[in-house]
Amino acid sequence: MPLIELKDLSVRYGEIEALRGISLSVEAGEVVTLLGANGAGKSTTLRAISGLTKPASGDILFEGRSLAGLGPEQIVRLGIAHVPEGRRVFPGLTSRENIMLGASNRSGVSKSDIAREADAMFDLFSDIRPFADALGWTLSGGQQQMVAVARGLMAKPKLLLLDEPSLGLAPVIVSKVFDIIKEIRRMGTTVLLVEQNARMGLSVADRGYVLETGKLVVSGNPSELWNNEDVRAAYLGGHARAS
Amino acid sequence: MDLVYQLLFTGIGIGSVYALVALGFVLIFRATNVVNFAQGEFSMVAAFLMVIFAVDLEWPYWLSLILSLGGMAIYGALFNLGVYYPLRHRTYLPVIISTIGASILVTNSTLALYGPQPQVLSNLLDFQGINLGTVFFDSQYLLIIGVTIVLVAFQYWFFEHTLLGKKLQATSQDKEMASLLGIPVAAMIMITFVYSAMIGGLAGILVAPILFVSIHMGGTIALKAFAATIIGGFGDVAGAIIGGLALGVIETFGAAYVSVPYKDGFAFLVLVMFLVFRPQGIFGERVAEKA
Amino acid sequence: MTSMVDIHRAHAQSHKRGLIAYIILIGLLVYVATTKQFDAYITNILMQAVTYSVAVMGLTVVLGLCGQINLAQAAFFGLGAYAVGLGTVDYGISFWGCIVIGIGIVLFFGAFLGTSTLRLGGHYLAMVTISFQQILTLVMINWIPVTHGPDGVSKILKPSLFPTPQSYLGFCVVVLAVVGYLVWHLPETKLGRAMRAVRDNELAAGVTGIDVQRTKVIAFAICALLGGLGGCLFAGGFAYVSPDQFSFAESIVFLTMVLLGGVSSPVGAVIGTGLLILIPEWLRFLKSIPGLYLAIYGLAVILIVLFMPDGIWGFVSQKLKRFRKVLHLSADVPELELVQTQAHADDVLVVTSLSKHFGGLKAVDEISFTVKRGSVHALIGPNGSGKTTTLNVLSGLYTPTGGSVSLDGHDITHAAPHMRTAVGLGRTFQNIRLFRSMTALENVIIGGERSGNPVESGALAREERARAALNFVGLGDRAEELVTSFSYGHQRLIEIARALAGNPTVLLLDEPAAGLNSTEKMELRDLLKRIAAKGLTILIIDHDMTLVGAVAEHITVLNFGRRIADGDPVSVLNHPDVVTAYLGSDANAAH
Repeated sequence: MPLIELKDLSVRYGEIEALRGISLSVEAGEVVTLLGANGAGKSTTLRAISGLTKPASGDILFEGRSLAGLGPEQIVRLGIAHVPEGRRVFPGLTSRENIMLGASNRSGVSKSDIAREADAMFDLFSDIRPFADALGWTLSGGQQQMVAVARGLMAKPKLLLLDEPSLGLAPVIVSKVFDIIKEIRRMGTTVLLVEQNARMGLSVADRGYVLETGKLVVSGNPSELWNNEDVRAAYLGGHARAS
Repeated sequence: MDLVYQLLFTGIGIGSVYALVALGFVLIFRATNVVNFAQGEFSMVAAFLMVIFAVDLEWPYWLSLILSLGGMAIYGALFNLGVYYPLRHRTYLPVIISTIGASILVTNSTLALYGPQPQVLSNLLDFQGINLGTVFFDSQYLLIIGVTIVLVAFQYWFFEHTLLGKKLQATSQDKEMASLLGIPVAAMIMITFVYSAMIGGLAGILVAPILFVSIHMGGTIALKAFAATIIGGFGDVAGAIIGGLALGVIETFGAAYVSVPYKDGFAFLVLVMFLVFRPQGIFGERVAEKA
Repeated sequence: MTSMVDIHRAHAQSHKRGLIAYIILIGLLVYVATTKQFDAYITNILMQAVTYSVAVMGLTVVLGLCGQINLAQAAFFGLGAYAVGLGTVDYGISFWGCIVIGIGIVLFFGAFLGTSTLRLGGHYLAMVTISFQQILTLVMINWIPVTHGPDGVSKILKPSLFPTPQSYLGFCVVVLAVVGYLVWHLPETKLGRAMRAVRDNELAAGVTGIDVQRTKVIAFAICALLGGLGGCLFAGGFAYVSPDQFSFAESIVFLTMVLLGGVSSPVGAVIGTGLLILIPEWLRFLKSIPGLYLAIYGLAVILIVLFMPDGIWGFVSQKLKRFRKVLHLSADVPELELVQTQAHADDVLVVTSLSKHFGGLKAVDEISFTVKRGSVHALIGPNGSGKTTTLNVLSGLYTPTGGSVSLDGHDITHAAPHMRTAVGLGRTFQNIRLFRSMTALENVIIGGERSGNPVESGALAREERARAALNFVGLGDRAEELVTSFSYGHQRLIEIARALAGNPTVLLLDEPAAGLNSTEKMELRDLLKRIAAKGLTILIIDHDMTLVGAVAEHITVLNFGRRIADGDPVSVLNHPDVVTAYLGSDANAAH
């Protein structure tokens, strides 16, 4: 049984059909990357899984159990943590406080335990340790991304949804973020990653899917996808030469 | 010179009440982005509850106080469910109008039940006060200042050093993200209303022996508390406290040196001057426009 | 096909018929009011209803049309009433002179409150108007030498022209009729459209060229004026005024009246006022318990907001709408012309070292580029690269942290959005921002009403131009439909038509292909080519590389807030940094 399975999932925003019947699955321990151009429906897929957006039809099964009718607060308690696009670090709280709040889905954990776990996160994300007590809005984009991922890991998720962790970051920072994703993978957490940066996205993945205007067009292992002309066309509109 | 000290003491005392109500204002505003125009009625209702328990039923003060604050917690919860929650997805205008409707409803229901004559509540403490030189420190004012200090300290500790406080802050900053982390957003908003009603109520009970307990006390206090938040910088907790104290002092000196009948007018004059010349208040906006 | 002039004539004729019917109706009412024998009690109730209705129509304008709140209408009403009371009794000024003075006073206070508060948003306005109300009550009670204090002013005289109560009532009905007529037609005027635009979408209103602040202040001043006028009439009718008649509670009564009747129309104002004056009279027994009937008002306000947000008239007119047929007039209008201002230089939009930081985040970091006159220029980059922030800085929604922007030789770095539109900037939004309560035609007319539009103005020309713009995007035959009835793709086209109607020098398109299906994208591409063929300069922001590659002559690429490439499409799209930005680099290999 896959950890999570999407069955013929459709999502509408009023007039717009954001997702048109997609089916995919992620096995426990896998890192799966969802690729596609902007507006293809990648973020919508993650929002549907975490309960922020209600599907128009179709079903989502997590550990064999349907998530239909559950809100985001309940879904994160089942063990699905969503690190959304744009990082969404609480601007008026410090990095440490942001990370500590990541454990809000777990009941019965004492504040001192949470503080200790949060401190351990600064070992994994050593770049932000100096900014542990800086307010969220003063952080740079890369620092915010690390806080957001650390906050997601604090939920001790069975499945981590990462939405565009490279968004707006300089290459050297992007590579740091992906080093962390590799580390997360090594620790055995299952990850569903949404990326626009195809090469980076595939470099950490076991498998990948490609979305185009709300539909899955290709799936396969990273090297197959990387060499697929359709994938390049989806990104660069057929104007670029294959390199 | 002694008069100056006397006035300063009185001003800080009354200003503390404004600060407490302003605090309640700011908490609800930060949690819901809505200005609650029935905030003053929290104080009014609590003062009337106190009159019912302590004066009419002649129960002991401590018991009346506990019952009144308990009553305010329930009132805050009902207020949230009846006035704010059904409108939470609409724009601010319907919500403003709905809270104004609630203010009128509560004020006039109290009038219908209790009649127009103001009620008297005696000082909560037994002794009258202390004389230091020629300055008289009234016990009720001392109590108000003391309670305000304790409450502000409590609130600081609560918001800065407890996880629940952090969850409340997170909810007010980004509700969707808070829900993604598993923070129960609806419950956080409920807590905010209950807490806000309780501190507003406490302010009303504290100020009741100084002012008369009347149906109009809510409106007056709320407007001054709002003026205090503008002076301090809208949505800023420290600003609300400083603004409240400043307003109390300005008003007391104004009444003593300029005019008694227009005492209530000074607050509005200061409010308008701030709006024209420094709308961001003393402290300005702390958090940048977008994070 | 009919010509625009024919359509206009048809409109004017139906308008004329309506006006004649209205005048006959009012004539009948005045006849009944002045000749039928009422007892004094009935006359008083009617007098109150008519004078209150004038003031409540003020709220129709400010709250219904412009979406701004005023909780001091009783204060403005009181100012007018005291102007007549004190003026005629203490100073011997004629009734008419007092009306002029009273209106002058309320306009002054209305404009002062408006200018000082309206830019700060709704909560401030609500509180400041309450404060003003309270101060005024304090002054009325305490400034005894001038106001007579709590006793009020009595023995106010009616104007000698209308000596009897009923003749005066007839006069008030005429005033109400005139005010009602003007308020009814206000939404169709340029000012009224601007107010509705501000109410529907303030951001889009500014970008479409409306001076948002000025529009709000005018709406607020009109509201104060009608409040004052109602008060003047009230004082003449009742011969006695006192502070308690103009308290905060009365402001709430005014608000309840407009909400109950419906904020969107003067008819609602009259319905609400009539009901709330009659109901308490019928339920007089409620007044025996002080507070009870105001408590019911409070409850009514909450219930109306919860369950009947459009009021009684809103509910009724919704039902009537089914019987009203929408005119589908396809007008025979000439093809859309895009008139360009005389070219100053070849570089029409020059962006120099532009930066925008949010706290520690450098969303835009020293970007420079130049858009050539008549070209289609694309600004592209991966998500989060700073494109939309750049666009928002260009259109004045964000203040830049550094750098400068100049359009056609004007430095617009710090200009307000509507000032930029006046210089010739037009734009569309990624998440469509139309004025949702209006028809497609009205939306596009507003676009054409921007100041600085080089095309001739005048109601006929404006409408003709708007229809031409709608024809140009292929929606001319649906001009009279509400924008909400259009599909998403068509709403996008209406937004483009709105910008085109204003004859922009440069058109900014913010992700026009977002949310469109592939057929709609093809249509959009053809439309952009047709616009470009007319010589209009376009700056387009999009992720859709097929679209950008097909229409752009010049591409600037951003990544992480900086410019990484700039040049013609072929070389830019094959630039190694651009390929890396989109497909991603193996960053580990790079280091």
